[in-house]
Amino acid sequence: MKSILILFLTALAVLFTGLTGRRAWLRTITLVGVALALGIAMLDIWQGDALGLNTRYASMFVFDRFALAFSATILTTLVLLVGLSGWGFRQLQETLGDNYGLLLFSACGALVMVSFTNMTMLFLGIEILSIPLYVLAGSRRNDPASNEAALKYFIMGAFATGIILYGIALVYGATGQFDVYRIAEKVAASDGSRSMLHLGLLVIIIGLGFKISAVPFHFWAPDVYQGSPTLITAFMATVVKTAGFAAFFRLFSTAFSDLSAFWGPAVAAMSAITMILANTTALFQQDFKRMMAYSSIAHAGYMLMGILSINQTDTGGQAILYYTLVYSVSTAVAFGVYMLVSEQNADRSLEAFRGLGQKHPLLAALMTLALLTLAGIPPTAGFFGKYMLFVAIFDQYPYLVVIAVVSAAISIYYYFKVIIEMYFTREDNAYSVQMPRGFQWVMWLGVVLLAVWSIWPGQILGFRF
Amino acid sequence: MSLYLILLPILGALALLIFRPNGAHTWAMGVSMAVQALTLYLLSGFDASGGLQFGVDLPWMAEVGFRFHLEIDGITLVMLLLTNLLAPLIIFSGFSVQTPYPARYYGLVLLMQGALNGAFLAWDGLLFYVFYELALIPIYFICAIWGGVERIRVTLKFFIYTFIGSLFMLLALLYVYLQTPGSHSFQWDDLVAVQLSPGAAWWVALGFFAAFAVKMPIFPFHTWQPDTYVSAPTGGTMLLSAIMLKMGAYGVIRWMIPLAPESMHDLMPVFTGLSVFGVVYASLIAIKQTDLKRLIAYSSIAHVGLIAAGLFVWNKVGVQGGILQMLNHGITVLGLFFAVDILERRSGTRGVYELGGIARTAPVFATLFMIILLGSLAVPLTNGFVGEFLLLLGIWQYHPVMGAVAGLTIIFAAVYLLRAFGLTMFGTQQVPSNNFADIHIGEYTVLGILALLVLVLGFFPQLILGLTDYSVDRILGVVQL
Repeated sequence: MKSILILFLTALAVLFTGLTGRRAWLRTITLVGVALALGIAMLDIWQGDALGLNTRYASMFVFDRFALAFSATILTTLVLLVGLSGWGFRQLQETLGDNYGLLLFSACGALVMVSFTNMTMLFLGIEILSIPLYVLAGSRRNDPASNEAALKYFIMGAFATGIILYGIALVYGATGQFDVYRIAEKVAASDGSRSMLHLGLLVIIIGLGFKISAVPFHFWAPDVYQGSPTLITAFMATVVKTAGFAAFFRLFSTAFSDLSAFWGPAVAAMSAITMILANTTALFQQDFKRMMAYSSIAHAGYMLMGILSINQTDTGGQAILYYTLVYSVSTAVAFGVYMLVSEQNADRSLEAFRGLGQKHPLLAALMTLALLTLAGIPPTAGFFGKYMLFVAIFDQYPYLVVIAVVSAAISIYYYFKVIIEMYFTREDNAYSVQMPRGFQWVMWLGVVLLAVWSIWPGQILGFRF
Repeated sequence: MSLYLILLPILGALALLIFRPNGAHTWAMGVSMAVQALTLYLLSGFDASGGLQFGVDLPWMAEVGFRFHLEIDGITLVMLLLTNLLAPLIIFSGFSVQTPYPARYYGLVLLMQGALNGAFLAWDGLLFYVFYELALIPIYFICAIWGGVERIRVTLKFFIYTFIGSLFMLLALLYVYLQTPGSHSFQWDDLVAVQLSPGAAWWVALGFFAAFAVKMPIFPFHTWQPDTYVSAPTGGTMLLSAIMLKMGAYGVIRWMIPLAPESMHDLMPVFTGLSVFGVVYASLIAIKQTDLKRLIAYSSIAHVGLIAAGLFVWNKVGVQGGILQMLNHGITVLGLFFAVDILERRSGTRGVYELGGIARTAPVFATLFMIILLGSLAVPLTNGFVGEFLLLLGIWQYHPVMGAVAGLTIIFAAVYLLRAFGLTMFGTQQVPSNNFADIHIGEYTVLGILALLVLVLGFFPQLILGLTDYSVDRILGVVQL
């Protein structure tokens, strides 16, 4: 609750500072606000149960260790993204304050999504997250691609939210409850026909599938990722996905955990086709952002395995937490490097990276680390993330693990395309890359986090909810 | 103590990669020699009739049974000797080549050394997997940055091939791990204690086989290897052939058969048969080769196939011979690739028909080349003889026909190696190798040390067999088929 309030107040402060025209302050204020919110969330985790974390706010919220851990994940990512925004937002003039404000409001929605205990709150969280993003996706007003992205994202997003709302209504019709714990009681108690409940559940899965961009509900993602400003793309790929999975996990581990025999196969099938299709499609992309869009779809497929582990093991939530953390940080680093390389040379294809290993060894090394992490190659943190997901469901769904392993092997091919361009291609291009001031600490923070999590994965994987 | 075998090269590698100092070759040499000295120190304190020694056991993700657990027994020690005797030679052999970006190159070589030591030392299944994969990253960069014309396509094929194989090993490891009692454990002893059903053991063995057969490589998983050896820089080829593929063979002894002995009754004929078939197949192809590097690549498949066959039959003679021959093969193949590198640098070609009469102007080179070649041929009193003899004896004990077929390797090796030697060293002088200068002091050192090792191990194989005797007995006792 404190983190949400701080973010909200920071957003207001940023909006009003933007009006006064002191644009130089905006990034600092945002950064301080986000860091403060992160600090408070970490402090709450550290102090733990002494605070009475499981107090519920009128059955709407609970800020338990699960909520705090995912809030911290989102806020950590946000620190990195705001760090990158000095470059990402450099062309904005009078709208700079609005952009920071919308970014923070959207993050408020993400925090609501990880701490809801009532389905109306879930719905509100999704809306608070999405509406600012529709605007942000189109924030390059003179760029047709950005306009297209905004329109597509808005139509598909509104459609998906409508579907989720329909599912919530069906579940309410079947159980008479919005509160997730009450729904669980009703589900456990009832023994009659469950067709309405099942229908509602399926519809909710479809709606959430749109939000986390799982196949076959992913068609919006490549266009939207490609057209949006890169910083906003990074936000969508990290914060939105983390919040979506945290909400997915919370809803299904509380309200619907008794129905796992029903939704398990559906989610497993979705996970399998997501991994296969996204990884194979990514192989053919020439545009880096489209490739990363398919990569992020593929990662949604892996993380769905964590949802499947509900009722199987007690480590599924930790596996998702670790995976989203590692995935978010490495994606933010990758988009950060891409932002510099592509915008300094006006080239959005993979060839923009050609020769980066000689032109800027540091950036190339950072990109390599991020890509190896995303590909899940040991001993990077990405490997331990995949490993924990595999362990969590191996007993129940061995075939899914085999599919995941094969598609992980396929994914190497496209991640390595970038590495090949950076280091191995000897023909040169005329590009040059400079690292602007204020960029360096973001990159180093990302590297340190990835290194620490790969050397001491136990810190997060042993985290108890 | 054994921890420093991993830490020292990896820290050295990071320092070279980050600071990129001048004189990287000397720095890398120094670090590598220090690791070598440490290995020899461990060897001097090693009790050959004792069990596990110099252990390190630190928690990593202790809640899920994943520990940073290192142990040394006789088998591991021979592998460490292989890695740390040869790695400094590989680094040293680069002295006369102007490598571009030397700091990065030697940094990656050191990283390789650390990862290989880690894979051999690991007593925890997941730790083995992590180091096994970690070794892949530096060699990928070495081959793809400093390699020849086709390097990008060939190296990516190599990487994806081996990575897919390793992922199946990960699945197999995970399966066995989930069968361990309690909150599960990756420790060797716990994994070995698991009793698998025959069906499950079958899949586990195949998972491991996928990884190790690609790595060694065993027919029909060898197709990446000749291309990669040819397109890689000489240092990369040496690392791959002399040390890295031994990780696969070592994995068979330490992990594959001990974890899934229940399946070996059915699968042993298949695995041994494939290995023996690969020996003959690769030898026949080697006879047809005119490119020296490619010829040695195929001869390496044949020799390693024989080692694999000896390990798969899982009797004492075969396993002892296999371990000894891993070291021997590392020494000889390193020498052969270095000799080819000298030939190529002086004359600009590797074709056997384009060279000739080199022995006339470079007698020292020809002599040392001959000694190493004889080691590869398994002539008595060279190192290869004892190893191949034990291997053939082990295979013979398992099945006389297979032993007889595998024995063809010695005849074939004589055909293709002596033909290559004769065509290049004797006969009329050809234009590319006119005025072939004899080797200078640096090259002499490398070839001389290798030739000396060939002879010493040929005269005193007991030096190595004595180290492994107790450990092989122990592992064969624990893992009875």
